[in-house]
Amino acid sequence: MKMSPNMRKAQENMAAGVITADGFLGDDKRPIQDMIVETEELMRHHGIDIDDAVQILKNMMEEGRNGLGEPITVEDKWIVQTTEARGHLPCPFEDGIQRKITTVIRNISLNESIMISTLSLHLLKKHHFLEGKGSTFRLEPDKMKRVLELK
Amino acid sequence: MSFLIAPLTIACISGVLAALIALIDKVVNNYGECKIDINEGTKVETVNGGDHLLSLLSTKGIFLPSACGGKGSCGACKCQVTTDVGPHLPTETPYLTKEEMADNVRLACQIKVKSDLSIHIPEELFNVKQFNATVLSIKDLTYDIKEVVFDLGEESITFHSGMYVQIVVPPYAKVKGSTQRAYSMSSRPLDHNKVELLIRLVPGGIATTYVHENLKEGDKMGLIGPFGDFRRSSTDSIMLCVAGGSGMAPFKSILHDMIDSNVTNRDVWYFFGARSLRDMFYMDEMRALEKENSWFHFVPALSEPMEEDNWTGETGLITDVLDRFIKDSIGVEKDLEGYLCGSPGMINACNNVMTNNGIPIEKIYYDSFA
Repeated sequence: MKMSPNMRKAQENMAAGVITADGFLGDDKRPIQDMIVETEELMRHHGIDIDDAVQILKNMMEEGRNGLGEPITVEDKWIVQTTEARGHLPCPFEDGIQRKITTVIRNISLNESIMISTLSLHLLKKHHFLEGKGSTFRLEPDKMKRVLELK
Repeated sequence: MSFLIAPLTIACISGVLAALIALIDKVVNNYGECKIDINEGTKVETVNGGDHLLSLLSTKGIFLPSACGGKGSCGACKCQVTTDVGPHLPTETPYLTKEEMADNVRLACQIKVKSDLSIHIPEELFNVKQFNATVLSIKDLTYDIKEVVFDLGEESITFHSGMYVQIVVPPYAKVKGSTQRAYSMSSRPLDHNKVELLIRLVPGGIATTYVHENLKEGDKMGLIGPFGDFRRSSTDSIMLCVAGGSGMAPFKSILHDMIDSNVTNRDVWYFFGARSLRDMFYMDEMRALEKENSWFHFVPALSEPMEEDNWTGETGLITDVLDRFIKDSIGVEKDLEGYLCGSPGMINACNNVMTNNGIPIEKIYYDSFA
């Protein structure tokens, strides 16, 4: 798929070492336009509404913040840990900055975890981008559905 | 040979265009010499225009705080520009309040110097220097926190406890550019030739990954500082210090500074929160300081101690422990001050506990990770 100059610039910004050490693409060599289309298809396939999922993840992040950096149990189903680091990260699409907040959500009964950040949530909500396969903050829709116990 | 004509023609045209662009860039972006007047004539520096204010000032040995090294992602390099340099840029506005914008506060990393201009910076920034430091030692404090000690060699640093430095991380692995990040100093102000930092690994962090995976003893590293206004007040109030993890850095410096300066007229309570024993560090050192100094009280607390920790100390969130101690051991009626270092969430929670116990908000000082 042909990419606009903005998309090309965003993909450059996503390379390892530009904004974060590992970048946003993992081992994925595809144009991000293709990844975004795939994200939308995958989310549809799993019956996940992007905005709803982002809101649930944001709520989890906020629950985790009550732990002041330590893990806390949420609804007896999840262990959630939210940590904050100094500074901000710019969005690779160059549409603002996000605080460096990271949350790990572990489903106790499944013993499976997902990791999100304020920037990864922004990328999902605003740009429908789940990050490339192999990226540290890549969210797999099926795993997200299992861990969050989405219907 | 005719098949070469097209590529050669394209190559020639590209070459001519590239030369033309370079020539235009030299003409259009040549602003000549510009004067930067700092603090109404306190210093006047002559620079070659065309670059950003932040980097031009640093070439003259004047360093503004910059936790991102001029990438426009930290908002630390604020300074007042009293000359008209155009409207605020979209890259500046997220970091500035309405009052700051009305006061002509700008981000120095976003302002290009194209003509003479006047700026205002805090006087103490004239004391900031860049050091070519050598890594003296690296010690694992926990699975994700390292203590890094730098030797400044012939150079010396003058700072008050609570201040921070910026480390200059060179390009490495896939990281092409140099990066700067800010860390509170945990070293003693009395030791002018050493800087100690406590650095926690941040997932995907450019600087912390470098420190944790690449930095070795004997390596050279640039340090810029000192910066910051987090400090111990000069009152006799009881100090309630709260921090977990690498947030201990400024308090370690403050404690040693008090001992070195023989400040024994005020009690210090240090509440150190962690999840389990593997997240705790400097326990022996803190216990020893407590034993030697009757005015110092160390309160470590675990929120989720493991069975094998055999923990007999305080348990629960550090805010709950703090609340209990203020009410039961220290006394709400006492003259108290709060000192906090950590995430905005932790600071807000501690602020609530302290203000609910009668400590005025203006007597709560903090070094926020925001």
